[in-house]
Amino acid sequence: MTTPTAAPRRVPKLGRERLAAVGFALPALVVLMALFVAPLAVLFAASMRGPDGPTLDHYGRLLGSATYLGVIWNSVKLALETTTIALIVGYPAAFAIGRARGALRSLLLASLFLPLAASVIVKAFAWTILLRSDGLVNLAMMALGLTQAPVRLIFTETALIAGSVNIFLPYMILPIYTVVAQFDRRLVEAAATLGASPVEAFLRVVVPLTLPGVIAGVALVFSLSVSAYVVPTLLIGERYQTLTTLIAKAYLLAQQPEFGAAAGVVLLLIAVVVVTLSARFGRPVRGRS
Amino acid sequence: MIDGTAAHLVVSGITKRFAALTVLDRVDLAIARGELVTLLGPSGCGKTTLLRLVAGLTLPDNGHITIAGRDLTKVPPHRRNVGVVFQSYALFPHLTVAGNVAFGLNVRRRPKSEVAAAVHRALQLVHLEHLAERPIAALSGGQQQRIALARALAVEPDVLLFDEALSALDRNLREEMQIELRRILREIGATAIFVTHDQDEALTMSDRIAVMNHGRIEQCARPREIYTRPASLFTLQFVGLSSRIAGTVAASDNGRIQVETPVGRFEAAGTLAPGDRAIVATRPEYLRVGSDGGGNTATGTIRTIVYQGSRCLVDVEAASGQSLLASLSGDQAADLSTGAPIRLSWPVTETFAFPAPEARP
Repeated sequence: MTTPTAAPRRVPKLGRERLAAVGFALPALVVLMALFVAPLAVLFAASMRGPDGPTLDHYGRLLGSATYLGVIWNSVKLALETTTIALIVGYPAAFAIGRARGALRSLLLASLFLPLAASVIVKAFAWTILLRSDGLVNLAMMALGLTQAPVRLIFTETALIAGSVNIFLPYMILPIYTVVAQFDRRLVEAAATLGASPVEAFLRVVVPLTLPGVIAGVALVFSLSVSAYVVPTLLIGERYQTLTTLIAKAYLLAQQPEFGAAAGVVLLLIAVVVVTLSARFGRPVRGRS
Repeated sequence: MIDGTAAHLVVSGITKRFAALTVLDRVDLAIARGELVTLLGPSGCGKTTLLRLVAGLTLPDNGHITIAGRDLTKVPPHRRNVGVVFQSYALFPHLTVAGNVAFGLNVRRRPKSEVAAAVHRALQLVHLEHLAERPIAALSGGQQQRIALARALAVEPDVLLFDEALSALDRNLREEMQIELRRILREIGATAIFVTHDQDEALTMSDRIAVMNHGRIEQCARPREIYTRPASLFTLQFVGLSSRIAGTVAASDNGRIQVETPVGRFEAAGTLAPGDRAIVATRPEYLRVGSDGGGNTATGTIRTIVYQGSRCLVDVEAASGQSLLASLSGDQAADLSTGAPIRLSWPVTETFAFPAPEARP
């Protein structure tokens, strides 16, 4: 809302504020330019390097082949499934932490933060130990008589999704929890006194007001899982090619850095599109009637 | 007042405990249609809990709540049709002003044209129809207050509840809103319960005031009666100023008692027995300078004179440091000066006597 009466005097103040904002952002800006933008420029350049000057051949090879399109789809599918399940599990979990008080809340928050301290590689290996044919899960299932022989768990899509959800779940819960912790529960009471059933109050008040957290979580988990390398490598291996494993192979085995760079750019674009879209949906909801 | 007409809202024998704490103790209250009753009391007296019970946001351990003859004791809030204006307003920040006011009607799946008309009517009532499309964050506190009211009014609730609804406003705005609110409630003939800890607000707004203390209603009566005929020492002390003198009942006869105090012997209406510890009290307005103000007299020294415009509030120090407060008209107070001796008198009919609270160990 612009208030025309207040405008003339506010302009210089706003200018100063903006200047201060730029100042505060400067260190981060410098770091990002040096460590992020510059390497990306190198990556872009590499992806278009050809024997006779710049070319889009590498992109053509990647996007023109059914096999490679399947690989891209594998990456996107893994990210979509991980994000969806993480949202279904994480949304109520964020509420549980937000509603908990005292020691219980600290405990729940610690259990959320602690796994972040362990390396992804460690966690992925832990899953391989759990899921292998003489792993805990198989032993438990046989002990309970659910199965006679060990079931193949490791190197399946199920294992991949389970591990991926487990590893990235905190990134879904944290932003939602942040919003839930600030949520004014009297809004739900107000909705109830206005005639809204608990379900309606949830849909009309809780969901829209926690949406920014949900969208931040979705953007985080999607971009992390679409670009995950260790998780698919250790939990499913060769059977399920993703963009990340393709990139690694292009660089390490096939010695085709141009092709790897093109695949890297495509991966980046997928993540950028999803994050941008969610940022658009996640803008603080302002005055809808 | 109820006056023979059937009460619209009846609270009977309501008890509510939180763990070991009894927040409400067998509370009874009957409110007529169109009446505004204020629950007045200090924080922790149970007034907000009683309001939440009527709204259905909390369930009682015992007792019943009926509105228009319908037992609502166990009915969830969204099926009660009871409007609440919260202290924090609890407006939905993701909706516009119109979106907030329309909320209850949208939930009821009313046709769009009907919703629009009702929203317009409700906003008109609070004089804010020009803000319909504004986001909530762009409103001032007073405007938010009115929108919260409009939102509650839009669904035409059977009973309207106000939980300290004006206490977040600054003084001028609050007094303005008190009168405004009274006008609106009269206009629509709403039955309302108003929770406040502000006695001036209670005296200004209410048809009746229910003075609450320790989970009980001490007295429920018209504002004037609460002030001039307090039924308990608590009501006397909580509402308005008073002079209170502790003593012992010396004689009791036919509803009249004589109480012996360090300041003198006073007569009051009461049924206490001789030997009982008692507090005699009166309001500052009943005191007159001299001996012809009534049957009870006391002497002392003027401690302070507070100029209050048309009247003066005079604090007199009587025997053993006892304070007497007199509200005197300008001409009565004209010749007074601090430090001067003074004789005050007041009518026996305006003298109250209560049993003295038991001394705490």
